[in-house]
Amino acid sequence: MAKPALILVGADKGGVGKTTVARTLLDYFTAHHVPTRAFDTEMPKGTLKRFHRDVSEVVDATAVADQMRIIDTLSTTDATVTVVDVRAGLMSPTLHALRDIGFLDAVKKGQITFVVFHILGSSIASLNEIEETAPFTTDAEYFLVKNFINNTNFFEWDQATHASYFKKLKDAVIVEVHKLNEMAYEQVELASVPFLTFVANKDAKGETANYSFVLRGYVRHWLGNVWAEYDRVKLLDLFETTAEAAPARAQAGTRS
Amino acid sequence: MPQRTQLYIVASRHPRVGKTLLTRLLIEFLRIGGRPLVGYDLNPREPTLAGCFPNLVWPLDIADTRGQMALFDRIVADRWRTTVIDLGGGLFDQFFEVMAQIGFEDEARQRLIQPVVLFISDAAPFTAQTYTKLRAQLEQTIFVPVHNEAASFMMIAKDFPPSSPKFRTIRIPRLSPVVRGLIDRPGFSFSTYMSQQPGGPTEVHSWIGQIFAQFRELELQLLIGELESSLRGGGKEQISQTR
Repeated sequence: MAKPALILVGADKGGVGKTTVARTLLDYFTAHHVPTRAFDTEMPKGTLKRFHRDVSEVVDATAVADQMRIIDTLSTTDATVTVVDVRAGLMSPTLHALRDIGFLDAVKKGQITFVVFHILGSSIASLNEIEETAPFTTDAEYFLVKNFINNTNFFEWDQATHASYFKKLKDAVIVEVHKLNEMAYEQVELASVPFLTFVANKDAKGETANYSFVLRGYVRHWLGNVWAEYDRVKLLDLFETTAEAAPARAQAGTRS
Repeated sequence: MPQRTQLYIVASRHPRVGKTLLTRLLIEFLRIGGRPLVGYDLNPREPTLAGCFPNLVWPLDIADTRGQMALFDRIVADRWRTTVIDLGGGLFDQFFEVMAQIGFEDEARQRLIQPVVLFISDAAPFTAQTYTKLRAQLEQTIFVPVHNEAASFMMIAKDFPPSSPKFRTIRIPRLSPVVRGLIDRPGFSFSTYMSQQPGGPTEVHSWIGQIFAQFRELELQLLIGELESSLRGGGKEQISQTR
């Protein structure tokens, strides 16, 4: 039995592109044949589930029963990786809950791999979030994601302030997700399929679709660049997997 | 054997080097054979070419995504038609950037479309650098340099090597100013002029004849390359062999 792994994708602020990042992660694991399941905490309808129907379940992260559905099944599921898209405002409560149920202790003992993708917004509030989150992520693989999906400019304030926050997180690794062409992003939204499926010109049923070649090209290029970031931070190395480590960018068919 | 269709991109970084003139000549040459043809004029501010060939050449602005879709989506869907693009300086960089980013060459290969860039040279050092960079970036595209003698006195051949020695530089000879006025008249047709020689051949006949002969030679070389490639049993090899 492989060591179970949990990835939290979250931020305390909404609209920073959490679900977009979660979607790129699911596509990345699909491309690398890493068995993955996902939990969408956008009750009741779910956003992630709209794109990744087959592997996602909508849960209420504040309900104990649903927390059990995620955590208690970590060691029994066939999935190597469990991705949880944490709804806006629930990041800190979720981390508190994980501490309270002893999950963080299990991580400390090396029984579970715990990865946090903390999606940053462009305001100073994001830096405060880092400060709040830091005590819970000592034993986690902690990635700070600068998501440019909303075309925001990051940290335009004093560099010293910026540096003082990041100094507190010696082990945090920065991942940058650049902006996807707006029209391409909209078309994938309308298609409600994973990015990878859009690139392959398939609809949700697996039938050949009629998406614009130009927009598919933009998505492929962008996805390849996001995956290059995951390759750069050696994301796959964190998980016990038998997957053939084919370079993700090659799978996306993307060139630099 | 299904034949490839050509996508000709007549490109120049700078204005007034004869780009639209060359595109007009190419379109008229291709029309003689009666093949299905479409053209795009990517000079949104001054779509001269589109004015010369209404209902055949369409002006497009590829500065935004809609324009890019109108161009590239149509090219991949219309593989049965030879496409000619007049690419001016304004959108030059963006065109090639988009082409590379969306993976156009791979799609074109799958759809049996052969991109051919007719690159009009000039004396600016940056132009030669651009040519070298583009050739390296677009590995599956055939590059053929063009020297317009009326626009630049000489061309340094080593700065503009074609994708293969078998593709020769297309040379547009200088025309006397009086005759130049004739071909610039609205509605002037090279092919119609060629078919009418009431007083025997003129300077213009010989000029058009020389350029059409070079187009014929280029098309022949493209066809030979394709045949060689099919004999070897691969599509991609053709390109790598030509480089």
